[in-house]
Amino acid sequence: MSRKISAAVLAATAIAIASVQVAGATGLATCDSGSPDGWQPQEKLAAMLKEKGWEIRNIKVDGGCYEVYAIDDKGERAEAYFHPVTLERVETASE
Amino acid sequence: MVPVWDLAVRVLHWSLVLTVAAAWLTRHSPGRWHEWIGYATLAIVAARAVWGFLGRGYALFAQFVRAPGETADYARTVLAGREARYIGHNPLGGWMVVALLAMVALVGFTGWLYTTDRYWGVPWVEELHETLSDILFAFVGLHIIGVAFTSRKHRENLVAAMLHGRKREGEPPPR
Repeated sequence: MSRKISAAVLAATAIAIASVQVAGATGLATCDSGSPDGWQPQEKLAAMLKEKGWEIRNIKVDGGCYEVYAIDDKGERAEAYFHPVTLERVETASE
Repeated sequence: MVPVWDLAVRVLHWSLVLTVAAAWLTRHSPGRWHEWIGYATLAIVAARAVWGFLGRGYALFAQFVRAPGETADYARTVLAGREARYIGHNPLGGWMVVALLAMVALVGFTGWLYTTDRYWGVPWVEELHETLSDILFAFVGLHIIGVAFTSRKHRENLVAAMLHGRKREGEPPPR
C-alpha cells in the first residue's frame, strides 16, 4: 500500500515537473519571425495601436509573436497577436 | 471501520482535485474554459467553507483546526516519530486543509480580478495569479507527502478513506 502511494507521489511530481518544462509558448499563435534582431520595436506597435484608440496594458512575446493585452477601441478586453516584423495582426486559435 | 468523511466532504474534496487539475491544464487554452473552471473551483471552496461551519462531526473546522501550541506539540511528536493517530484530520493536516482552501480562494480571486476591465492585462495581477498558483501546487505536494507519510506511519490507506469515507476505529494513543 505505502509503495503504491510512494509511486503515485513520484508520478505526480514527475508530471508536475514535466508540465512546468513544456510551459513557455502558449501555442495560441505562432509567428515565423526569425531572430528578434529583425523585429520592429514593441513601442512602435504600442504607438500604432494607441493611434487606433487602444489602451495598451501589456505586451509580451509568445510563439515568436507580440502578444498584446489591451482595452480595444470598442472598450472590449483584447488579447491580440501581432507579427513582430510586419506588425500585422495574427489570428489566434479561437475567438 | 467507522464512518469519518461524509459524502459532502468526499465529493467536494475530489471535485476540487479535478477542477484544480483542469484549471492547470487549461491555463493557456483558447476560449474561456479556464475562466469557467475557475468559477466552479471557487464554488467548491465556498461550499466546503460553509460545510466546515454548518456540517457535522469531522467535517467541521472546529473539530480539526487546533491552536498553534497544540499543532506545534503535534509537529514535535512527528519529528520524534511517536505522533498519535487521529481519526479526523491531525493538527498539521487540519491546517493544511485551511491553507489549501485559502490558497485556492486567492488564486481564484486574482484570476477573476484579471478578467475585470480595470485589471485586464495588468502584469502584476497576472504575476500574482501565477505565483499564488505555484504556492498552491507546492502545498498540494506537501499535502500528498503528508498523506503518504501518515498512511505509512499508521498503516492505513488515507486516500482510500477519502474515497469510501471509513477508517479503522481509534485505539489508545501510544504511551
